[in-house]
Amino acid sequence: MSKINLAAYWASSCGGCDIAIVELGEHLLELAQVADIVFWPAATDFKYADVEAMADGFIDLTLFNGAIRTEEDAHIAHLLRQKSKVLIAFGSCAMEGCIPGLSNLVGPERALRRASIETPSTDNPTGVLPQAQYEMPEGTLSLPRLCGVLHTLEEVVPVDFKIPGCPPNHDQVWKALQAYLAGDLPTNRLLGVDPRTVCDQCPRVREGKIRVKRFQRPHEVIADPERCFLEQGLVCAGPATHAGCGALCVKANMPCRGCYGPPESVADQGAALLDALVASFDGQSDAEVRQIVETIVDPIGTFYRFSLAHSFLQKARALTSWGDDPCASQAATEGETL
Amino acid sequence: MIRPEQMDRRFVEEILAEPGGEHLLTCWSCGTCAATCLVRRFNPAFNPRLILHKAGLGLREAVLSSAEIWACSACDACYPRCPQGIHISDVMRAIRNLAIRAGYEAPGPAAQVDAATCSGCAVCTRACPYAAIERKPQMVNGQERTIAWVDRNLCQACGICVAACPSGAMSLEAMNDAELLTRVAAGGWLEQPGFLQGASDAPRLLAFVCQWSIRAEEEWERLQGLNDEHLRVVILPCSGRVEPAHVLLALSKGVDGVLVMGCHEGECHYQRGTYLGRGKVALLNEMMAAVGLAPQRVRFAESSALERRAFERQVAALREAIAALRPAEISEVRG
Ligand code: SF4
Ligand code: SF4
Ligand code: SF4
Repeated sequence: MSKINLAAYWASSCGGCDIAIVELGEHLLELAQVADIVFWPAATDFKYADVEAMADGFIDLTLFNGAIRTEEDAHIAHLLRQKSKVLIAFGSCAMEGCIPGLSNLVGPERALRRASIETPSTDNPTGVLPQAQYEMPEGTLSLPRLCGVLHTLEEVVPVDFKIPGCPPNHDQVWKALQAYLAGDLPTNRLLGVDPRTVCDQCPRVREGKIRVKRFQRPHEVIADPERCFLEQGLVCAGPATHAGCGALCVKANMPCRGCYGPPESVADQGAALLDALVASFDGQSDAEVRQIVETIVDPIGTFYRFSLAHSFLQKARALTSWGDDPCASQAATEGETL
Repeated sequence: MIRPEQMDRRFVEEILAEPGGEHLLTCWSCGTCAATCLVRRFNPAFNPRLILHKAGLGLREAVLSSAEIWACSACDACYPRCPQGIHISDVMRAIRNLAIRAGYEAPGPAAQVDAATCSGCAVCTRACPYAAIERKPQMVNGQERTIAWVDRNLCQACGICVAACPSGAMSLEAMNDAELLTRVAAGGWLEQPGFLQGASDAPRLLAFVCQWSIRAEEEWERLQGLNDEHLRVVILPCSGRVEPAHVLLALSKGVDGVLVMGCHEGECHYQRGTYLGRGKVALLNEMMAAVGLAPQRVRFAESSALERRAFERQVAALREAIAALRPAEISEVRG
């Protein structure tokens, strides 16, 4: 059997997705027997020119992690789409924007200021911001411009499959790769998941009728390790999150944060989680309901921690303020339905 | 025509002995309950006075086999008005318990669980105002899993669980997600650009209206007649059935405002539905503000069956609030 050509790329990401590939461990050796790695900037020294020189469709499979935040990300997304037979949005950033997508709440300028000047660990006495162009005696240096909003990969190019997770669980990655190699890919476009939601794999006891008067955050209480977090007044995204991770966080006594995205047939994870949470309110008057609502700190960051960039809320916002977006010309908006 | 042999004194005693049934015989048959009852608007055959009367006469078969004993939703609108202080929903429950023991079942509709999709998260068991849902071990495709099970004798078809279920595993006949969405989008209504985008001459509003918060038959007919390019009215069993995803989808398609209309505090037909509706809208408003969308565009409004033209007033108020937003949002588009 001839080997396949495999590529992996990181756009706007933290590097965790590449670690998830490294975490394949000895499976990497098995992989090396059936695949040639033709591009993987996180691990080996390739240049963009190497990819540009490839024939269209030369790459059999590309695992693309990271969101589209800069012109460069968008450019490489197009390039890799052109060169790849199968393009996979790998991990939460590429699939739904993930944590970096929360910067869409404030926009790129504010995010740049925060990152370059305001964070406590930054020492930047002159308050200089990254410049798109900078003149040096040797010539002009340039940085890619930021997109007006952070995009998911699918907003920029067509995607064949998605593997959710921040990062994807390496066992699931291996299963997905095996399915690909065996030519046994599912008809739906989600790979590396289990049926249903995290609650399905969660060992915690659900009494089932307990409602709550206030919500607390994980650092404010020591949670009972046996009981459902929601019934203890801790927001747990498990009910609105696709199974696949094996309920890792809940088993470590930490509520599910929702990184595997919504279950099949649910378009908007945040809306689903919001409704699930309100259902557990123990309020018998307007005032009580308001009090409970007030205990939910940062609802948007809680419900859309990973999926804001891919949410209806984001799309609604875009209608009235797309603005000047260097990536927008490349962004193909999906027809989204529920 | 009631014949003496149909009258069963033991039936009366059984009801009296059942918790909640104690006050059966204090009924004067004045009919105040029937005059107050909201269920009658959709189910004219339901008459609490008549049921109590027949039960008091001991007409066992006639009472236990009737579909009407299941129709009371325990909203308790009649309770404060009954001159004898009878807690009628309790008596109804006592009668239903006897019916269940005699092998009768509620005619439905009732919420339904898709066993293969349900993950047993227990969101719905907490949501249901009637404690009609339990988690039970069940065999699904050869595997034992603990998933939701609806007691159709307790379900009142409010749809709150359908909204709450984060997996899309719960459904309810005409009130499931796909059906509601069809009604929202019918005729391409969702696909037209809105006023805040500078594309419509007046705000386009979507209204989710609780079926109990509106006055009477004629008012309903009038509401349907209000549907046009600028207004889409979708009736819900309860404001607690409103789906945040539908509200956000509408905004993402360019609908300018969404009105969720429910009952006044303490008047919910399904006990807690209105509080859930309010909670959802409050959180939506907070998130909209955070993302830079004017929260005024989504509003929870109250009404009751006693108010005239409350709906039109609320629609007008929302239109006005949105019209006032336009300069700001339009300049953002240009800027
Ligand atoms: S809500 Fe969280 S803690 Fe509760 S069952 Fe689901 S995953 Fe487990
Ligand atoms: S429809 Fe309403 S009454 Fe019926 S099970 Fe669902 S929440 Fe309970
Ligand atoms: S809310 Fe949905 S997924 Fe959760 S237990 Fe109920 S029916 Fe099952």
